[in-house]
Amino acid sequence: MELKLNGSWRETPELATVGALLDHLGVTHQAVGVLQNGQVVAREAFDAQPLHGRDELEIVRFVGGG
Amino acid sequence: MSPEAAFPVVRDVDRVRRLVALPDVKPALLEKLARATVAMVGMGGLGCGSAPYLAAAGVGRLLLIDPGRVAASDVGRQVLYGPQDVGRLKVEVAAERLAQQSPELAISCEPVVLGAENAAALLAGATVVLDGLDDGRARDVLNAWAVRGEQAAPVIFGGALGYEGQVTVVPPGGRPCLACLFGSVADAPAECSVAGVLGPLVGLVGALQAAEALKWILGVGQTLSGRLWLMDLFSGASRVVPMPRRAACPVCGAGGG
Repeated sequence: MELKLNGSWRETPELATVGALLDHLGVTHQAVGVLQNGQVVAREAFDAQPLHGRDELEIVRFVGGG
Repeated sequence: MSPEAAFPVVRDVDRVRRLVALPDVKPALLEKLARATVAMVGMGGLGCGSAPYLAAAGVGRLLLIDPGRVAASDVGRQVLYGPQDVGRLKVEVAAERLAQQSPELAISCEPVVLGAENAAALLAGATVVLDGLDDGRARDVLNAWAVRGEQAAPVIFGGALGYEGQVTVVPPGGRPCLACLFGSVADAPAECSVAGVLGPLVGLVGALQAAEALKWILGVGQTLSGRLWLMDLFSGASRVVPMPRRAACPVCGAGGG
């Protein structure tokens, strides 16, 4: 499926949910923010939130150091 | 030789001459700077990167909050500290350096850990709060404090780890707040002894936080409220991501207590 990830279009395997996408990308679910087509996906909903071809996603890790 | 003869007197009008040359900064706004208190929560890399610019610009008071002492491994990126300071309280050393830089600046030191039990008392009187923490749990406390809006003060959040940095502003009352996008950040990676950190990154993020603080105090420009500025010094890339309000946010939305 084709997804726009952090500003760039990418081809990925068929993935059912936002959580599956994060797992595919090797991104842990802790302190990660996801916008799907401009809307926030709450962390607790990652594994239930459906993913569709042509979705535009921003995946942001909170950087904790200071 | 008197101090006056040894050092040229830097008058307030000199200190702010380049600031008031900016198109949106009217001289009358400078009174806001002089009356402002900026609370620096954490005087590590981000605090060292931001505090000197706030002191230099003519902010009236800095409140330095950090229980830590200077470690040898801090000296490579926390540029207010040198080898002679190892073992001393960071807030005390920082206060000395900042007082040299800006003698008219009022500085208060609180060498304590900020937590839910003391945040309101510690931050009373703050005009703006700068996050210089490396602890996600304390960031959650700061976010909740901003959302409660007791002081009508924003929290300027910053983070830096490895080559990656980020900055955003949570306004009083939130909507959005940090938890709208991230939920709790208590488990965010923060340990630079594991991940490393490029020294100038903390200076860059700290300087951006200082810029946001000055803009907020002066009421000029567009703040980063509702936006997250991300930078990756490894690739030399930067982008700004929207941080929309989440209606069910557990801190500032319908999910809040």
